Amino acid sequence: MIEPAETVIALEGISKSFGKVHANRDICLSIRKGKVKALLGENGAGKSTLMSILAGRLQPDSGSIRVDGVLQRFPSAKEAIDAGIGMVYQHFKLVESMTVAENVFLGQEGGRFLNPPAMAAKVRELAISHGLEIDPSATVADLSMGEKQRVEILKLLQRRSRILIFDEPTAVLTPQEGDQLFKALSHMAAQGKSIVFISHKLGEVMRVADEVAILRKGEIVEEKRIDEVASQDDLARMMVGKETFLTVVKEAVVVTKPVLEVRDLSGNGLKGVSLTVRRGEIVGIVGVAGNGQKPLVETICGLQAPERGEITILGKPWKTFFSQRKLSETLSYIPEDRIGLATCPSMNLSDNFLLTTRKGFRKGPWLRRKRVETESRSVVDRFSVLPGHLSSQARHLSGGNLQKLVLGREFFRKPGLIVAEQPTQGLDIATAKDIWGHLVGARESAGILLITGDLNEAFSLSDRVVVMFEGKIVDSFDVTDTEKRSRVGLMMAGAST
Amino acid sequence: MDTQITGKMLDLTIRKRQESLKGTAALIYCGAVLFSLLLSAALLIFQGNSPVEGISLLLQGAFGSMYAIEDCLIKAVPIYLCSLGVAIAFRLQIWNIGAEGQFALGAIGATWVAISFPGLPSWAMIPLMMGAAFLLGGAWGVIPAILKLKMKANEIIVTLMLNYIAILILDYLVYGPWKASDSYGFPMTDEFSSAAIIGTIGETSLNWGLLICLLSGIVIYIFFKFTVMGFELKASGENVRAARYAGFPYARLVIISMLLSGAFAGWAGFVEASATLNRLQPTIMVGYGYTAIVVAWLARLNPFYIGISSFLLAGLRVGAENLQLELQVPAAFGDIMEGMILLTILAATFFIHYRFARRQRS
Repeated sequence: MIEPAETVIALEGISKSFGKVHANRDICLSIRKGKVKALLGENGAGKSTLMSILAGRLQPDSGSIRVDGVLQRFPSAKEAIDAGIGMVYQHFKLVESMTVAENVFLGQEGGRFLNPPAMAAKVRELAISHGLEIDPSATVADLSMGEKQRVEILKLLQRRSRILIFDEPTAVLTPQEGDQLFKALSHMAAQGKSIVFISHKLGEVMRVADEVAILRKGEIVEEKRIDEVASQDDLARMMVGKETFLTVVKEAVVVTKPVLEVRDLSGNGLKGVSLTVRRGEIVGIVGVAGNGQKPLVETICGLQAPERGEITILGKPWKTFFSQRKLSETLSYIPEDRIGLATCPSMNLSDNFLLTTRKGFRKGPWLRRKRVETESRSVVDRFSVLPGHLSSQARHLSGGNLQKLVLGREFFRKPGLIVAEQPTQGLDIATAKDIWGHLVGARESAGILLITGDLNEAFSLSDRVVVMFEGKIVDSFDVTDTEKRSRVGLMMAGAST
Repeated sequence: MDTQITGKMLDLTIRKRQESLKGTAALIYCGAVLFSLLLSAALLIFQGNSPVEGISLLLQGAFGSMYAIEDCLIKAVPIYLCSLGVAIAFRLQIWNIGAEGQFALGAIGATWVAISFPGLPSWAMIPLMMGAAFLLGGAWGVIPAILKLKMKANEIIVTLMLNYIAILILDYLVYGPWKASDSYGFPMTDEFSSAAIIGTIGETSLNWGLLICLLSGIVIYIFFKFTVMGFELKASGENVRAARYAGFPYARLVIISMLLSGAFAGWAGFVEASATLNRLQPTIMVGYGYTAIVVAWLARLNPFYIGISSFLLAGLRVGAENLQLELQVPAAFGDIMEGMILLTILAATFFIHYRFARRQRS
């Protein structure tokens, strides 16, 4: 299928695990001269880990990298850059107050004195020859996101990078800027550069790629030429995989009154979202990441204000609910970002337990430290957080144990509504099962909104499934509807239902 | 692949430390202070003095006699109070460098009470002076807090600029409306009535300001450890996003931390005006508010360690005065040393978080 003669970089049997989680497992991938290779996969599939290995920022546990057929090791990013590998990150690494030309030459001025006219001329020449028009003397702070991205690309071209890796390059671009980028990519490929294009947007991949490799749970499940792919739906199916049901025991629970009602929520990337969660049920929101799940969750959980539309939480309007937060009978948010949002890494376990439960331990202005100790002890034990030393810093916990601590803390508040965002992402299967058990058990007293990129998780836990695409809800169906379930991949890809 | 490694080069890279340090951290900081002493010794050589004699004169002057130690303690009192205040704001990652101005306003508030109601008995006078110092010093802290919250003004710039405004207000008062009739043209207020002067402790020259420090320190320790608001302040300082997630009243926390921060500096101004000078005059401004920043940083914001480092930096001031008398080194020498201690401490924090490792090249 792949002619070895043209291979610039060959990854052979790359594996990398973090604790018990296999981020990459025995990956073989070849990047060829003059071709655009798309790396497609859901969040947490291992795309970023793989590219970090290639860029020298992570060391693989096993496997090897060949550049032009020669074995190479990249102990740091410098060696990878020297080998001609350049990466355009989602978050640009530019000096905002400097000009385009200064940024392009940053760190490789090649002498003690600068020659601005020569630098500008060089940048202009590079830009024109690669179809990346830009004014070399413009200040970066004044540029649009698309133009900033062009500066990043020019930086790599100036360093003579031969392999250009783009990490979800269109995430920050307008559609027009995206079109320009695709043109530039084809142009560069035609000039013999190799392009790796990381994405989870299927349409883009179909448009721009010559070859596509699909990653699922750390493994490459398919590698094809794009003309071998029948359609976008075909890609969706490969990305999502076959349904393999997990055994989660769900006892019937009576569904009662609504705990969350969202009506015509718009703005912040949302387009008229309406949904209801009732006590006793789990509503699973599925969709490819970046289709409005984040703003939806952040608005429901009070991190950003709704622009248009209404939200009612536990019978109260959004504004009232968040201005008079109560300890129990409340909303518990289990965020995807466990370490940066749900916890304070340098505080100890009992202080982290206190973050959202502090109102339950106050007596006037005082904190009842003794009770905090006993209650956090019992939560840590009940949710088997290991190692459970209350006085050790949260940063020392593994992802799974940290998540169990967060879950224990949030359940301690006896919430009426639970918003769980990617609750098992990056966790090993045993911990994930624990967490599923806790969520299913919580239906007794709460309604649960589950946001996940993992369809298996969504189908095995949810009572109802809601599919989001481009800020809209495209469909919502009962989990027992097998016909709809088989088409969920298409819906996630934006195919009309 | 590994067999291709032919030799190790002395090529250092920087690695982030995975484990947190306990004992080593203290060692690193001691090393930093020692290093700044070495730099000071080098400066002494530069001036043509013997470094050994210079450093020993410095230490002797600071800690060599009972009288010297008492002097250190007296100077440590305002430094401690300013530093305790600064540390509260720093906990919340609000960079209050305005203790100097808040100190001035505290002194002004206390003086206003003292010279406006000279007939009050001490049981009413002292609490009123403290109350005024608390309010004015606190207000001087709250202004930048409000500007930060409402207009997103950088508190570093605002607190710094307010220092100059505060000093000018103080100058205006002592050169103008508050100038004493019998001062022979010197800028100073009337001497306070004896009821407005904090007394000395027993037979020593120490004043009861020391007790204010002790109580304030204990109160702050309890505040952070055992109150809900103290916990919220601490947690917000650790992770602002988590504070938002958990629904902390962030704006209120900023205001309160700056109020307390300014109020403690204000009390320092009260103690200086009442116990040390017995009146208000421009010489009250000797830079305690800036020293407080070094002290808070040295002590890693811990109230107990702030006590120790206040005493040490007060010792540096006293010792540098002695050095000035004995070796005729410039008065700025003490300030230079203080600056060097801060810089070496800041440099040392790098080694708390990172270490050097040898890079292996193939």
